[in-house]
Amino acid sequence: MDRRQFLVASATLSVGGIPNVNIKADDAKEPREFVGVLVDTTRCIGCRSCEVACSETHSNYVPDITSDNALESIRDTSERQFTVVNRFSTEKGEVFVKKQCLHCWQPACAAACLVNAMLKTKEGPVTWDGDKCMGCRFCMISCPFDIPKFEYASWNPRIMKCNMCYERLQEGKKPACVESCPADALMFGQKRELMEIARHRVYSHPDNYVHHIYGENEAGGSGWLYLSAVPFNQIGFRTDLGTTPYPEYTREFLISIPLIEFGVPAFLLALNTLTDRKDELRKDDEWTESGVEK
Amino acid sequence: MSTAAIPSNELVRFGKFFLDELKPRGKWITPFNVISIPVILLGLVILYFRFTQGLGSVTNLSQQYPFGFWIGFDVMTGVALAGGAYVLCFVVYVLRLEKYHSILKVTILNGLLAYVFYSGALVLDLGRPWHIINPIIGNSFGYNSVLFLVAWHFLLYTGALFLEFSPTIAEWAHWEKLRKFLTSLTLGTVIVGITLSMLHQSGIGAMFLMAKPKIHPLWYSEYIPLLYFVSSIFGGLAMVIFEGTISSKVFSNLIGAKTHHSHEDVILGLGKGAAITMFVYYFFLAFIFMHGEKWKLLNGPWGYWYLVEVIGFVLIPCFMFAYGVRNRRFGVIRVAAIMTVLGVILNRQNVCLIAYNWYVPNKYYPSWEEIVVTLTVVFVEVWVFRWVVTRMSVFSKE
Amino acid sequence: MEYYSYVNIFETKGLAYLLLLSFLVLGVLLIRYLSGPERKDPGPAKKDRAAHG
Repeated sequence: MDRRQFLVASATLSVGGIPNVNIKADDAKEPREFVGVLVDTTRCIGCRSCEVACSETHSNYVPDITSDNALESIRDTSERQFTVVNRFSTEKGEVFVKKQCLHCWQPACAAACLVNAMLKTKEGPVTWDGDKCMGCRFCMISCPFDIPKFEYASWNPRIMKCNMCYERLQEGKKPACVESCPADALMFGQKRELMEIARHRVYSHPDNYVHHIYGENEAGGSGWLYLSAVPFNQIGFRTDLGTTPYPEYTREFLISIPLIEFGVPAFLLALNTLTDRKDELRKDDEWTESGVEK
Repeated sequence: MSTAAIPSNELVRFGKFFLDELKPRGKWITPFNVISIPVILLGLVILYFRFTQGLGSVTNLSQQYPFGFWIGFDVMTGVALAGGAYVLCFVVYVLRLEKYHSILKVTILNGLLAYVFYSGALVLDLGRPWHIINPIIGNSFGYNSVLFLVAWHFLLYTGALFLEFSPTIAEWAHWEKLRKFLTSLTLGTVIVGITLSMLHQSGIGAMFLMAKPKIHPLWYSEYIPLLYFVSSIFGGLAMVIFEGTISSKVFSNLIGAKTHHSHEDVILGLGKGAAITMFVYYFFLAFIFMHGEKWKLLNGPWGYWYLVEVIGFVLIPCFMFAYGVRNRRFGVIRVAAIMTVLGVILNRQNVCLIAYNWYVPNKYYPSWEEIVVTLTVVFVEVWVFRWVVTRMSVFSKE
Repeated sequence: MEYYSYVNIFETKGLAYLLLLSFLVLGVLLIRYLSGPERKDPGPAKKDRAAHG
């Protein structure tokens, strides 16, 4: 075997021997590195300056954090506030948890939206477009975290949810809440980097954290990630959501629609032809009339 | 064969004819009118507030319960119970069972009006109804959404039902050529209509697939689309029996003697179909229950409530249909039909409202305004139905 | 973590086949029941069936 033959043979082997299973042209798509925020609940001091910064940025209701005693009860985000901080009493003392849209990797709300008003942007934030939305509230039904909120008291209602300060991101700034955090509890970046930082914190202080990063895989994974010192179900998180991205639950159904639309009309037409009793009787008559039977 | 081909004096004639037909006939003071007119007027007042002050001013909808009675009852249930139209079209046009031809037109009319009014009630519930055109004209197609499929299929199927009914309208307007042309389209529209029905009846169920963590596990399964489709078959059949019973009493002067006589035979056939479909549906439920290993969930109020629905409103009416058909007991069949209709209503309310967010302490219940508006929609539909059947030849005169 | 322990996702498959068998048996019984007591009287029953077809 000379050198040339060897090269040809090895080239054939490398092409034929290891088939490229990924037949979709993955390199044709632009890489989608989503941004997100890492929330370290062990660092949060419950000052609620993120609530104020958020509401000021989005011209929502600005809470009076010095005197409203809002931490006394567990609050939900609302049509007036995109983010809230809650206080939980746990085995390791008081824990403060910021709540807002998690900006899922595969958002159920965006898959539910029939006008693409709820949109997963390439950069990562899930945004809402009031020029498209028809107010059907199917996104609210679908979101496993119950994040989208609706303005029931308005004749021209909006769907209200955190958009990770999409406008600010495009100007190259960080989300308002991240910038306002005095305790360094929030960290903005690409999810890949944030995951490494989160893992590093867990491994280097194994006693300070539960060994789980909420948002790594929940409902398919989200842009926002949480670290905690206590199990997540003790600080207001749902831990029964599974790791399947929620749009997957409707995927089989949506994809099989054309199959039904190809198959069923043909089947019905066939049944209609096959049940034509009159035609059958007429042919019988023709048979007898033509005298073959005689 | 478009209307443009019809000379203008024909249009003038039709205009006069139509105005003439609009005038009410018969007595004004009937029990139905006395009840329905105040309700409709009150409903319109409520709708005025709904469109000026927002949904929250008249409904009990909340952030936990974004779908309320208007969606859960009007749209979800109304569409399911209108399933009789596609089932009967299948039986008459595809299987060619001529026996059921006598009730076909009225069933199609019922289906058409149900789609126009009940899926039309969706507009009342939309926060920004002026954007309803968006998914249709194509400036923002959300193909990824189940609701996109449902919306388009609603629209197309309403069109198909209209085409199926249109020969009767052409006959009423004395457009003989147009009627012949429209009749020639029937088989095509029927086949398309059945396909569209299969998809949107199941699509309404598929809308809840992503609400997995919120619906009580006894009601949630990945087979919800199939369950919704099958229950629309027997729900539709039961509704046809129920409506037929009422129509044959209220409009008995419009129905021919032969049809009146063969009605018993038709009801037996429909009852038989309903019994078998419900039997299959019951086994679907048992199969899903068993595969989900939901034994433990039966203990407790939610389990009992589930059993009420499955035993009380599926299995028992199924047996009642079977008993009524075998022994020709029409009273039993009618009661079974009413129970089946209630059962479909109950099932849709369970998935959409009652077992939805079942762990939330402040449950949703409809406000009186929501109920009045729902009644308004139903009454207006009955008014239009009455107007059509007293003017067009919907019931078989034979 | 529960992810790393053995899970048999077809545990209920045997029961499903039992359910199927009971469905077939009960289904035949239901159809026979629905065909009604006319069975004893073959004359009109046949006529009826011809009219349905």
